[in-house]
Amino acid sequence: MDATASTSRARATAAVSPPGLVVKRHSIATRLTHWVGALAMLVLVMSGLEIFNAAPYLDASDLSSPAHRVLSIGADTSSGTPRGITQIFGRTFNTTNVLGYTDNGQGGESERAFPGWITFPGYQDLADGRRWHFFFAWILMIAGTIYLFFGALRKEIPLLVLRPSDVPKMVPMQLYYLRLRPDPPEHGKYNPLQKAGYTLVLFGLVPFVIITGLALSPGIDAIAGPLTTLLGGRQFARTWHFLSMVLLIGFAFGHVALVLGTGVVNNMRSMILGTYRIGKNEGTGP
Amino acid sequence: MKRRLFIASSLAAALAGCANTTNGLNENPQVHDALKLAEKLDHAIIGTHGDAKLYAASDITSPFPTNGDDTPTDGLYANLAREGFAGYRLPVAGLVEHPQTFDLRSLRALATLNQITRHDCVEGWSVVGDWRGVPLGTFLGLVRPKPAARYVVFYSFDRDENGQQFYGSLDLHEAAHPQTQLALDLNGKPIDADHGGPVRLRVPTQLAYKSTKWVQRIELVSTFKPIFGGNGGYWEDQGYEWYAGI
Repeated sequence: MDATASTSRARATAAVSPPGLVVKRHSIATRLTHWVGALAMLVLVMSGLEIFNAAPYLDASDLSSPAHRVLSIGADTSSGTPRGITQIFGRTFNTTNVLGYTDNGQGGESERAFPGWITFPGYQDLADGRRWHFFFAWILMIAGTIYLFFGALRKEIPLLVLRPSDVPKMVPMQLYYLRLRPDPPEHGKYNPLQKAGYTLVLFGLVPFVIITGLALSPGIDAIAGPLTTLLGGRQFARTWHFLSMVLLIGFAFGHVALVLGTGVVNNMRSMILGTYRIGKNEGTGP
Repeated sequence: MKRRLFIASSLAAALAGCANTTNGLNENPQVHDALKLAEKLDHAIIGTHGDAKLYAASDITSPFPTNGDDTPTDGLYANLAREGFAGYRLPVAGLVEHPQTFDLRSLRALATLNQITRHDCVEGWSVVGDWRGVPLGTFLGLVRPKPAARYVVFYSFDRDENGQQFYGSLDLHEAAHPQTQLALDLNGKPIDADHGGPVRLRVPTQLAYKSTKWVQRIELVSTFKPIFGGNGGYWEDQGYEWYAGI
């Protein structure tokens, strides 16, 4: 357990921080790459939406095909009052002021898929959106590589990988989160739901978002054509890339909710300063 | 209620502040130079290797879309078009051993490359066309680039609304790729005025903005820095990457 791994600095802190024992929870490599990775993800999502805006639709096919369209965001400007129209799997939604006809990043509203407040840059500029996207794609790759390298070196990765023995504990853990169970099931540094989330993100969604992004590039398609074909083609790769972003945003919301809900000060301290106070909430964090 | 209003208005102000910050960062030249490192890495690591996928005739997109750029308004081009491009001449000059000028008949005699390939727009969409034309590598073999030549620059008949001429460039490695071609036919017919005829570049291993339309003349150079905005192409001068394999 963590207590055995506590550093002398953590013990010193513990002495002045009653009542719980304060332990070292996250290494400097984990903390730095966490925050750099989080910043990279934020810029990647915002610049990605900027890029999406240049062709605001997604097709489940190799080539652009309205017959295979799964999402489109547009505007109906035929009448005096323009409307934002979003279509998902053929179902139409009026999304005026939010999607399709919305904030143009220049103080007004115009025909635009995602609003200026969520894109990077705020105004529509595909060239610059791409520059930010590809730069932070490298930052994410580098931060991820450093994290995995030090995580493997310090044997921290195995602590967060979901194992078959964790699966039966997932429901009791959820019941504990829902206040339907007094105590969490017994677990190590990370609880079974954390392990499921981190394993899915680190070894599923993040590699997938990188692979699908690469697969929609013509230069990569020429080198690794079977990869693009396996994903259903170029437009399908674009659709997968978008979907994996949506799932990553979902993870981020759940993650932040749990940071706030399981002792925000303690959680933030562990990811900024590295120290974590063992208490009632031990190991039930984000 | 007041507190909620306060939180909501603070959030809105913070978002507006964020937008100003991001836009400010985006317009900072030093920041922009840093962002360009990604292009250098992408070019070095991905580069131009392998071949773009070949498609079947049944995959051809018809009608083949255009992207806002229709027939050039240039008077010279209009005159040539009126006579079915009988007077079209393609000069190849610059750092070459044998500067030459080609007419359409001599280009047709060299048009040995027929390929059905995908056309990927930087905006995100993809279409397929059947292209026939001159493999650029073969073509450059005829004019023999000098050792100092590094880039092939393609000047277009087209100009933007400010009168700026369209142009683009490839390095010799990309130019020699067996799928890079000076296309003459699209889907079995001479390329029409809207699609870049009579001669347009096709670079299926990169995004379509590299495939200069309405090629007027070709020049081999050691550097594209002195040409127009200095970034190697019209779109590159607007901020797009010179290396468009991603």
